[in-house]
Amino acid sequence: MAVLTVSDLVVELITPRGVIRAVDGVSFDIDAGETVTIIGESGSGKSTTAMALLRLLPDDLAVISGSAQIDGQDVVGTRKHIGGIRGRSVALIPQDPMTALNPIATIGQQMVEAIRHAHGSLSKAQARERALELLRQVHLSAPERRVKSYPHELSGGMLQRVLIAMALSTEPRLIVADEPTSALDVTVQAGILDLLLEMQERTGVAVLLITHDLGVARLMSDRIHVMHRGRFVEDGDVEQVVDNPQHEYTRNLLAAIPELGAWDDPEDPDHPDYIDPVAETAAPATDPAAEPAAPTTRPEQAGIPATKGGPRP
Amino acid sequence: MRRYVLKRVVQTILTAWFTVTVVFVLLRLAPGDPAVSYAPPNPSSEQLEAIRREFGLDQPLLSQYWTFLTHLLHGDVGQSFQFRQSALTVVLERLPYTITLAVAAIVITAVLAIPLGVWMARRANTAGELGANIATIAGQSMPDFWIGFVLLIVFAVNLQWFPSSGFTSISSLVLPTLTIVVLQVALISRLVRREMSVNLNASYVTIARSRGVSERRLTWRYAFSNSAIPVVTALGTRFAAMLNGVVIVEVVFRWPGVGQLVVDALERRDLPVIQATVLVTVLLALFVQLAVDLIYPLLDPRVRLGEGAR
Ligand SMILES: Nc1ncnc2c1ncn2[C@@H]1O[C@H](COP(=O)(O)OP(=O)(O)OP(=O)(O)O)[C@@H](O)[C@H]1O
Ligand SMILES: [Mg+2]
Repeated sequence: MAVLTVSDLVVELITPRGVIRAVDGVSFDIDAGETVTIIGESGSGKSTTAMALLRLLPDDLAVISGSAQIDGQDVVGTRKHIGGIRGRSVALIPQDPMTALNPIATIGQQMVEAIRHAHGSLSKAQARERALELLRQVHLSAPERRVKSYPHELSGGMLQRVLIAMALSTEPRLIVADEPTSALDVTVQAGILDLLLEMQERTGVAVLLITHDLGVARLMSDRIHVMHRGRFVEDGDVEQVVDNPQHEYTRNLLAAIPELGAWDDPEDPDHPDYIDPVAETAAPATDPAAEPAAPTTRPEQAGIPATKGGPRP
Repeated sequence: MRRYVLKRVVQTILTAWFTVTVVFVLLRLAPGDPAVSYAPPNPSSEQLEAIRREFGLDQPLLSQYWTFLTHLLHGDVGQSFQFRQSALTVVLERLPYTITLAVAAIVITAVLAIPLGVWMARRANTAGELGANIATIAGQSMPDFWIGFVLLIVFAVNLQWFPSSGFTSISSLVLPTLTIVVLQVALISRLVRREMSVNLNASYVTIARSRGVSERRLTWRYAFSNSAIPVVTALGTRFAAMLNGVVIVEVVFRWPGVGQLVVDALERRDLPVIQATVLVTVLLALFVQLAVDLIYPLLDPRVRLGEGAR
C-alpha cells in the first residue's frame, strides 16, 4: 500500500488580492522506500502542496479539496487524523534550517521533545540517549556537546543534520523535504543529500522531495512531477523526463540549469581530498562523484550527478 | 562581567548626577522666590533676606551648587524648607506608598495583559479579537485623570465600595491601581499581541507544529518565550516610570506617595524635597532597568551582557 496517496488535490489561497488557485488538481502517490520529486519554478505551488498535505496552512488562508491519505489516513477531508500523524508517521525537513528551530531551547531539549512525542513510553534519560545516537547516525561531530548547544551556535549544515535526525527520531513512514538544501552553502549540499539517501536506504522511508534543482532531482528521485502554475505538466521516471521532455515548460526548465561543477570539487566536504576547515561534519564520504556517470548524459548536463538508480558505493 | 558591572555603576552615577544637576539649575532659574512661601504675610525685605540666608539662597548659583554637591557626597540632600527636617527622610517616608501602588499596578497589568494579548494573537481576525481590539484602543486613548474621576464618582462616591482618598486600608489601593491598570493593560496587551503574532507565524513554530507539538506548548513554550524580552522590557520601563510618582493618580486619589509630595513641594517651592525626590526616583528607575538587563540573558541565550538585546 502506498504511504502517500494524493488525488485531485486543489488548494485555493485566500489573499487580499483575491483567491489564488495555488495547487490545481494534482495526483500522485509514493510507496515505501521511494522518493518522488516535485520540481518546478518558484511560485509554481510546490510548497503549498506539501504544506496542504501536512495541514500546516491556516484554515483562514487555504481551502483544500480533493483527497489524500498518509499511511492510509485521510488528511484532506478532516483534520481529525493529522494531529496523530504529525511527528509520528510523517516528518518535515524544512528549507531553511537556520530558522527552523526554537532559538531559545537547546538542540537536546528539542530532540527530546520530538522523541518523547513519538515514543511516549521513553523516559527523559532514554530520550536523551536516543538523541545522541541519532546525532551520531547523521554524522554530526561531537554530539555530546551539540545537544547542549543552542541553534545559533551551529552552522546551517549542522542544523540540517540535526533536523534530519529529528525527522528520523520519530521513525516516520513519510518524510517531506521542502528544498532541503537550497538554503545551504553549495559545499555542504552534497553531504546533506547523501545523508538523506543513506537514511532512506536504512529505514525504507518514503520521501516527498521538493526542489527547483534538476541536479538534485536527478540524484534523489525515483519519479518526478514537473509542476507549473499549480498543475503537473509532466510526470515520469527521471531519466525519461530529462532525456525526452515532452512539455515545452520542462524543456525550458532543463535549458535553464546551470552547469553543476561542484560535484567533483575538492571544496566539496564529501570529496575524499577535502579537509574540513571547521570540522563541520565528520561524515564518512559516500561520494556521489564516485558513481559512474549515467551513459545517457547529454553534454550540456555533464555536471548533473548520476541518478538514484545507479550503483552506490 | 566585571567590566559590565563597572560600566553600569559609572553609567548610573553619571545619569543620576546629570538629572539632579538639571533639576537643580532649572528650579533656581524658574521665576518666583521660595522665601515668599515661608515668610509671614506682607513680609519686609529684611524678613525675606533672613529666610533666603537660612535656606542658603542668598549665595551665587555656582556656590549653592558646590555646597549641594559636597553635601550630596556625604549623603546629605539638604533640609526640607516646609518640614524643617532632612528632605531625604521626607521622601523615604512617602516612597513605600508609591512603591506599593506601582507594584500592585504592574503585577495586575502583567496578569491581565499577557493572557489578553496572547488570546488576541491566537484569535487574530475573529469577532472576539475585534472586540478586544476596540476595547484596548479605547483604554489606550482615555486620559488617566478622566478614568480616575469616573472610578471615583462611581465606586467611591455613589456606590461607596472603596474609600475615595488617602490610604486607610488595603481597599484604598483598589481604585488608584485600577486607574493605572486600564491604560497599562491596553498598551501592554497590544504589545504582547504584536510580538506573539510575529512568533506564532515564524517558521520554527510551523515546523514544531509539523513535529506534533501541541498548540498550547507552541503558544507558551515557543511563541511566548520568544516574545518575553520586549514584554519584560516594556513592563520594566512602565514600572520604573511609575516609581517616579504616578502624579495624576496620586493627586486624584490623594494618595500619600512621592507624586503627591512632589506636587506639594513644587507648589511650596520646597527645593530640597524636589531634588531629593528626583534623586531617589532616578536611582530606583536605574536599578529597575539594571534588573531588567540582567534578566535578558536568562530569557534568550543569544543575549550576552553588555551587548544589548539581540
Ligand atoms: N501565505 C501566502 N499568502 C498568499 N499567497 C501565497 C502564500 N503562500 C504562497 N502563496 C502563493 O501561492 C503560489 C504558490 O506558492 P508556493 O510557495 O507553493 O510556491 P513554490 O513552488 O514553493 O515556490 P518556491 O520555489 O519559491 O518555494 C504563489 O503564487 C505564491 O505567491
Ligand atoms: Mg517553496
